[in-house]
Amino acid sequence: MRRCKSQKIFPLLASLALLSACGQNTETDADSQLANVELPSGMTVKEQIEARQSHLKEIGKAFKTISDQLKTDRPDLAQVQAAAALVPREAQGMADWFPEGTGPESGVETEALPVIWENKSDFNDKIDSMQDAAAQLNTVAQGGDAAAIAAAFKATGGKCKDCHDKYRQDD
Amino acid sequence: MATEPARILVWDGAVRLVHWLMVILIPLLWWTAEEGYMDWHKSFGLTMFGLVLFRFLWGFVGTWTARFGPMIRRIGSLNSYIGKLRRKEPASTFGHSPMAVLSVFAMLLTLVTQVTSGLFSVDVDGLESGPLAVMISFETGRQFAEIHEFNFNLLSALIGLHITAIAVYHFILKERLVGAMVTGRRSRADFPVDPETENRRPIYAMIAAALLSLACVIAISNFS
Repeated sequence: MRRCKSQKIFPLLASLALLSACGQNTETDADSQLANVELPSGMTVKEQIEARQSHLKEIGKAFKTISDQLKTDRPDLAQVQAAAALVPREAQGMADWFPEGTGPESGVETEALPVIWENKSDFNDKIDSMQDAAAQLNTVAQGGDAAAIAAAFKATGGKCKDCHDKYRQDD
Repeated sequence: MATEPARILVWDGAVRLVHWLMVILIPLLWWTAEEGYMDWHKSFGLTMFGLVLFRFLWGFVGTWTARFGPMIRRIGSLNSYIGKLRRKEPASTFGHSPMAVLSVFAMLLTLVTQVTSGLFSVDVDGLESGPLAVMISFETGRQFAEIHEFNFNLLSALIGLHITAIAVYHFILKERLVGAMVTGRRSRADFPVDPETENRRPIYAMIAAALLSLACVIAISNFS
């Protein structure tokens, strides 16, 4: 008897739950809890993910500035140098931006693939070599030779792609 | 005694060339973008821009079947055209059918959106960008890239619709349309009423439109 009753009540409850979910954030409670976990850095998972996205976006902007200038016949060296100096600064500490728990399982929107945490040492190696290339780009940029800057820029971009091809979700 | 030719020109050479080049280029553009061959993507994209621009100009100065004006006027007979198809009456149109006109405009609009958004697109890493993206910020360039990506789905859907329509005409309505897009000609007997116009080819207009399109492509590729 009891069982019968609950069988009838269950769909009712379920539809009520569905109704009440309408208009609410699609993020479930479990997800938002994971997003708010505090990391050793003191940041929450969500803050950490957003911080690295903002750093990476700054690098993207700097790259566009360099790429725009390299397309012209007479690149504005001051702009290129400022942007090239910004890249290693923004990329500093990148290996620490990806602590456990900051993958897509956190429920926060991120293109970081779970495979990062299965290959953490390869991932970190790739970050290292990107940072080296960025430092090199900065050095070359301050030298002011457009052809050398173009080569160093290409090399740095290649290092970015090495990682993105494997560890970032495809657009 | 002069006899009227049995086969008449429906699609001029420029329309056909543009059409088939697009058939080749669109899959190549998709593939180069997927695989990240961005230098090729940009070259093909710029070629595509030239083709779309030429087709647009040709819509004003081209042959009668290529021009937009007569095409727009034909939309009015859309209902009667659909009625004829349903009753299986002969309904072959000299040029685009009233339904095809809508398809052509939808595809052209989508193509214009696609090539224009491509010119201003910036990739997520800021490493690759369209030739006109130097004029805009990273963020705006990203928005163009979003449009570029979304609009490609629209274009694919329209192409799918186009191919489906061709198949429906071929197998159900027994109207073979592909041949005419290859040779440009159809039998005069195909048309229930004689074409009201001769599809005269304005050769100087064609040269002018081609040169103008080429000039725009060159200007854009040397923009910065």
